[in-house]
Formats: sequence, C-alpha cells, structure tokens
Amino acid sequence: MDYLTVVLLPQLLHGLVFGAALGLLALGLTVIFGLLGVMNFAHGELYMLGAYAGIVVIGVTQSFWIALIAAPLLVAGLAVITEVTTLRPLYRREPLYGLILTFGLALVFREGARQIWSGDMRRILPPFTGSTPLLGMTYPNYRLFLLAISTLLLVAIWLFFTRTRAGIVVRAAVQDAEMLDGLGVNVSRVFTLTFAGSAALAALAGLLLAPVFTVYPQMGVEMILLAFIVVILGGMGSLGGSVIAAFVIGIAQSLLTLWMNPQRVAIAIFGLMIVVLVVRPRGFFGREGVFE
Amino acid sequence: MNKAPWGTRTFPWGALVVFAALAALPFTPFMSKYYLLLAFDALLFGAVAMSLDLLMGYTGLVSFGHAAFFGLGAYSTAVLLERGFESLWLCLALAAAVVGLYALLVAYFATTRRGIYFALLTLIFAEVVYTFFRYTQAFGGSDGIQGLPAPHLAPGVAMDTPLKIYYVVVVYLALAYVVCRVLVGSHFGRVLVAIRENEDRARFLGYRVQRYKMGVCVISALLTGLAGALYPGRAAYATPDLMHWSISGEFLIMVMIGGIGTLVGPVIGGAFFVLLQEKVSSYVQWYFIVIGLVLIVIVLFMPKGLLGLRRALRPASWRATT
Repeated sequence: MDYLTVVLLPQLLHGLVFGAALGLLALGLTVIFGLLGVMNFAHGELYMLGAYAGIVVIGVTQSFWIALIAAPLLVAGLAVITEVTTLRPLYRREPLYGLILTFGLALVFREGARQIWSGDMRRILPPFTGSTPLLGMTYPNYRLFLLAISTLLLVAIWLFFTRTRAGIVVRAAVQDAEMLDGLGVNVSRVFTLTFAGSAALAALAGLLLAPVFTVYPQMGVEMILLAFIVVILGGMGSLGGSVIAAFVIGIAQSLLTLWMNPQRVAIAIFGLMIVVLVVRPRGFFGREGVFE
Repeated sequence: MNKAPWGTRTFPWGALVVFAALAALPFTPFMSKYYLLLAFDALLFGAVAMSLDLLMGYTGLVSFGHAAFFGLGAYSTAVLLERGFESLWLCLALAAAVVGLYALLVAYFATTRRGIYFALLTLIFAEVVYTFFRYTQAFGGSDGIQGLPAPHLAPGVAMDTPLKIYYVVVVYLALAYVVCRVLVGSHFGRVLVAIRENEDRARFLGYRVQRYKMGVCVISALLTGLAGALYPGRAAYATPDLMHWSISGEFLIMVMIGGIGTLVGPVIGGAFFVLLQEKVSSYVQWYFIVIGLVLIVIVLFMPKGLLGLRRALRPASWRATT
C-alpha cells in the first residue's frame, strides 16, 4: 500500500502531467504535418523559444501570468514571419524540401537562442509553491495546475476543431487544401494562421514545463523526437490519436523508469515505435492509406 | 536521360583529372598539416554524402539514420585499435561486417515502408544505436573511446601523419565514386530510378522492388560505414555524438547543398559543408546560424544545389540528371 501511494501514484501523476504537455506539442506537429506533409523539425525550437520568451517577459513584468499570454504571442509572431518568408514558397514542391528547410530553421533558432541567452541552464520559478494532500500523498501544486491547464487547453482545442467554423476550415485544409481553395477559402492565410497557432501551442508547452524542467538551447532537440513518436503512434494527421498517444507515452515513460534505467526506457519506447511503424504505420487512429 | 555511363560514353577524363589534382594537392605550398586534415574531413564527408545520394537522389528514399552507419564504422575501428589490433584492413573488415549486418536489419524493416515512414524508421533505429553506445560503459559511455593509436596499412607502416591518412581518403573516395558510378549506370541503377519515379509501376513490371531497395540501402550503408571506419585514423576517437540524429541531418544537408541525384554534387556539398563550418566557426561563434541560412537559401532558390548553379550558368552543357 505504501508502495502504491509513495511510489506508484506520484509517478503515474508525473506521467499524466508530462503526457498532457507532450499532447500540446504533438497536436501542433500533427496539424502541420497534415497541412504541409512534412515533419516540422523546427517545432522543438519553437517550444524552446516559448520558454525563453517567457523568461524575457517575466524579466520585464515580473509576472508569470502575463508571460503565459505574451510568450506564445511573441513566438506566434515569429512563426508568421517564418511561414510567409520561407515555407509559403515551398507549398507546391516535394515534401523533402520542406523537411530540410525546417531542419535549417531549427539550426538558426537554436543557435540564435544560444547567442542571445548563452548556453547556460536556466530555470523559471513556479508562480506558486506548496503542495496539496491527495489520495494519501502530497503533490506539488504547480504540477496539478499544469495538469489542469493542459487538459483545459486540450479540451478547448477539441472544441475549436469540432465546434467552430475556423476549426472546420483548418481540418478541411488538412484533408484537401486544393478543394478548399476551389471553394473560395484563402488557403495561404489558413496555412499561415495554423502555423502560428501550432507555434503558440509549442511555446505554451515550453513555458508551462519550464518550472518543472530546465531551460537551455538544446531542450527542444530532446522533446521533438518524443513528439514525433507521439504523432506516429497516434496516427499522422489524427488529432485525437495524438492526444491519446501523448498520454500513453508520458505515462509509459514515467512508470517504466521505476523498473528500468533511462537508457532501457528509451530503447523500449523506440522498440515499440519500430513495431508500430512496421505492423501498423497508421498508428492508433490514422486513416488507412494516408501517407503510407 | 543520360546514356549509360561507361561503355557507351568515353573514358571519364574529368574524374581522372580531379583525382589527379586531389593527389597533387599536398604538394602545393600552402598545404599545412591543418589544411591536410581539413581536406581529409572534406573528402571523407563528401564520400558519405555521395553514398547517401544513392538512396536520396536515385531511389527517392530519405534516410535519417546514416549517422548510425558512420558511427558503427568508427566504433569498429576504435574497438580494434583500443585492443591492440592495428591493421587497417582488419578494421575495415569488421566495420563492413558490423555495418552490413545492422544495415540488413534496418533495411529489411524500413524498406517495407515509404516516404516519411521510411525516414522515421531509419531515424529510430539509429537512435537505438546512439542510445546504446551513449550509455554502455564498455564502450566509454558518453566520452566514447579516446586516444587511439594510428592504424597500420601493413605491419610497420603506420598511418600516423596527416599526409598518409589524406591519401587513404583520396583512394577511398576514388573507389567509392567508381562503385557508385558503375552502380548508377547499371541495370540495377536504372531500376532504382524507376522505383523513385513510380514504385507501383516498377512493381507491376515485375521487379522485386523491396529487394532492390534493400540492396541499395545496404550498399549505401556499407560505403558510409567504411568511411566511418577511416575516421578514427584521423581523429583518434569515436564518440556517440557521431551517431546523433542531427549528424544524419547534416548528411542530408550536404546532399542538398551539392545537388541531389548527381553523385558529384554531394561530394562538393560535403566538402563545402565541412569547409564552411570550419572557416565560419574560426571567425564567428554563430556559425550554425550561417549554415542554417545557407541551407534555407539553397532550398528556396537553388533546389538543384551548387551543381545546379554551374548548369544554370552554362545552359549549353545542361543535361537532365538521371
């Protein structure tokens, strides 16, 4: 019983918290994949820039809450500029070029961050401390907040995609951009705004996780691989699949570390990925034949 | 379309002249040890990019896991040198065996999938190898294997000077180029191009597409792995960083910079990338910004790479790439 409340339950909650944040990252990635047909290698860097933008805003305003609004907006602004100047000219070309372009963007962003903020590890202090007794254990308040706000955001995004006209237009663009163009929608604008939105989500995930993890220029490189895995596992282009896969990976990673060293956990997760890719490449919920 | 390379075409004088120039390079007055080692890197990574081009340019398969082939080759040499086996041939043989087996495994699974799934499968296999070496203390963990002696070409003939090791890489590049050129011009190479253009049609014509794809994967991996096996001869170390997926990304960049699907282009791209990195980093700290920007400019404005630039300047000599 002690084992359950002292070891297993906190680890399970850690997994949930991490999974929810990973879901925010993976959602943006999967939408961009649907639109452009490429994995956005710069997504991890947008996540990293979100944390740094947060540090800057907190430095100016001394408020974590203002940063929570302002940092994603700043990163979204950068994303709009990036999309219009570099990605837009590539719409009609092979996806390979988009893949390589985002790799170049990632290099520029990462090195830019290192030049501006140096390569040192930084931390953001959580806006509140303390912990709450919960099911026979105590759990840090900030992590509970993180879980709540991530879940809230995921629900909001789900409502956006199912209940609003704008969300339906984005989903239509993911399925068939040409058709949407023919129906008189300004597809370029949809692409730009979607890219900005996905960047804002990544930035938000970066800032929310910053008080739990550390902030450094390479932080996106480690996360992006995990986010890729989540997107594949969920089925490329499937929004719900990504969220479920994010929780699966978050919890699996967090529970497996109880019994294995991190190296074995990483290899186990990679092994799972290989099996999924070979046996069922469309993941949990991907549509058959899409991108296969 | 090109005519078949050798056989119907005249003897490749151009390539011969270039390799003669490379062989004469150490005798030019400004080639210090530093520049010889730089030239070694340029040619070695040029050879790697060329072998990746077999997959990317000719078969249309984007591998995001070539760093693992390179790194496994480097570790094969490093393990042997560390244990006192100094023969370069032994190192190359072990590298070929290790990389060949691993490549067979990766290719068997990866070639069942296309496009982005192929890229991701190669990436994940490579990450498994990276994670294994990064955390296995028997192979030095994150420090890798350091301070290695020079490999020997024959008993008593140590490859211990920049000049000697430079000639090793020139010979290697020449041999690898011949292999790639012959391969691309052969029937096998033609089928690869057919697969790139339309995989289903190639299958309906009766070709066992997966076997062809596995074949070219293993050949490309072997050429990359053998280049990796030469690397500790120059650097005296093998580290897990050589296998990180960002290195695989750099290999892709080299191919793109030079000109995809041309063999010669990626060699130029690899050399250009190495020189750019070295030269820019000696002037400014933010060289990765420069490299990233160069990459972005090339993708946006020169999709055919540096070699495409030459063709654009001389339209008369323009030929379709195979």
